[in-house]
Amino acid sequence: MKEKFKVALAQITCKRGDKKGNIRKIEDNVVRARKQGAELVIFPELSVTGYVLRDQIYELAETIPGQSTDILEKLAGKTGTHIVFGLPELSDKTQATIYNAAVLVGPDGFIGKYRKMYLPTHSVFEEKRYFRPGYQTAVFETELGKIGLIICYDIFFPEVSRLTRLKGARLIICISASPVTRRTFFETLTTARAIENTAFLAYVNLVGIENGLQFWGGSRLIGPNGKVVAKTKYDKEDLMIGEVDYSDIKPIETFVPILKDLRPELFDKLKENAEKL
Amino acid sequence: MELTSSVLDLNWSEVETKIRYFIKDYVEKSGAEGIVLGLSGGIDSCTAAAFSALAIDGEKVLGLLLPEQETYNTQDIDHAKFVAEKFGFKTQMIDITPTLRLFYNTIPVFEIADKICKGNVKARTRMIYIYYYANRLNSLVCGSSDKSEVMMGYFTKWGDIAADISPIMDLFKTQVRKLARHIGLPKEIATKPASPMLWPGQLAEEELGIKYETLDLILYGLEHFMEPEEIAKQLGLKRELVDKMKRRWLYLEHKRGMPLTTKIEYRTVGADFRLPHTFY
Repeated sequence: MKEKFKVALAQITCKRGDKKGNIRKIEDNVVRARKQGAELVIFPELSVTGYVLRDQIYELAETIPGQSTDILEKLAGKTGTHIVFGLPELSDKTQATIYNAAVLVGPDGFIGKYRKMYLPTHSVFEEKRYFRPGYQTAVFETELGKIGLIICYDIFFPEVSRLTRLKGARLIICISASPVTRRTFFETLTTARAIENTAFLAYVNLVGIENGLQFWGGSRLIGPNGKVVAKTKYDKEDLMIGEVDYSDIKPIETFVPILKDLRPELFDKLKENAEKL
Repeated sequence: MELTSSVLDLNWSEVETKIRYFIKDYVEKSGAEGIVLGLSGGIDSCTAAAFSALAIDGEKVLGLLLPEQETYNTQDIDHAKFVAEKFGFKTQMIDITPTLRLFYNTIPVFEIADKICKGNVKARTRMIYIYYYANRLNSLVCGSSDKSEVMMGYFTKWGDIAADISPIMDLFKTQVRKLARHIGLPKEIATKPASPMLWPGQLAEEELGIKYETLDLILYGLEHFMEPEEIAKQLGLKRELVDKMKRRWLYLEHKRGMPLTTKIEYRTVGADFRLPHTFY
């Protein structure tokens, strides 16, 4: 297992409903990132289809593994990279139950998927109308260490990242479709989740305009000390490479020993009080 | 939340970037060759036109000056031409008086004394000219409605509100004035009293019965779910005035959306036929 490797933040604009075009763009970015030494390339939330799909999502959702995942699995194999992308996942047990999913594929094929747990349904967001929430956090053993996946609004709920970290993830990947009005929140929360979990956090946001919503980009790789290792441009497509070096975690974890100091009994209190809210 | 004028202050450079990006992106993705807009010489249309020219090549932007005899105002025409020259977009002036007269003379039930019905004919006639040009030029119509007007329903249905995009519609009137100053519109235009120009001497603030400085704070409070009682208390207003503005905002929602139908079938336009506005 590698202790040190390069990650590419592939901040792209997606054309809604155009899976072929979006996959071509993903392929192009993976090839470019690989040439720069990246072993992991991360794309935004719902990057295969675009974000604002409304009822068209029923035509675009597909199973995972499935057609798009197969293509990107082959790409990962051919280029020897790990790729994270977003896709509306159609349940293989029903005909119209859809999840907002993040997928991880690697040089040896499909590794795993995560189904978004917290679905924003307020303001301009209408995810609960379309998606069923996931019920599990997701951490996968890979050649690049244990990697955890979360999606966008999940980051507002520290317990998702915390659980992901407690399951051993030293790199938490958050793929996102965050409009510009939420920029301050995400810039703050991405750093907070990295610090409080003494882990690397890679945040990759969508960019461009969909239905009047301007996605701000600003993707970043944050170290366990909260320092921004790499950051993409705001409001423009960009590809930025940063290095994850797991040895950076130990000195932070030693003198900012958040995981050591966890008080599990408070989690029971949290549950008890959250139920009474 | 404290309701002071500072709540309406935004980072104008960021707002400028967002609006320019929005216009450019939409025009490019739609495949349109340019933008057409009605240019009255008022603050809103001057700002929308200036932004259109900043976002795309000014050569691709056409401001239509559509004056008519009753409300003809030399100063407005001068302001419109000044902004066109400053921001480098084209203009064309067409006197719509003969067209309006034709309507007045051929509508059997036309009532000259009913200034609202008559005024709406003017707004809709302007819309016809603007859309004609947009169609001919394969261009988009850029609206110039602001949030104060839209929340108050202070516009003519299918008239001045009609547009393909409305880039300043999420900004209150007082914010549009500040933004206009930010991009270099002269104070004289930015602070000019607003008028829909539907009849001589018509002034928006007189008709609405409130100054925009106050109205915008009331609307900001309502937008942020504040209780009318609290808004009135903070602004030192009578509760009745805030209630009146709230009622007007709520009751005129029908002017802001698709026409209502009754649900009969599986998926219904305007109800649960939920599609993205565009696929661009």
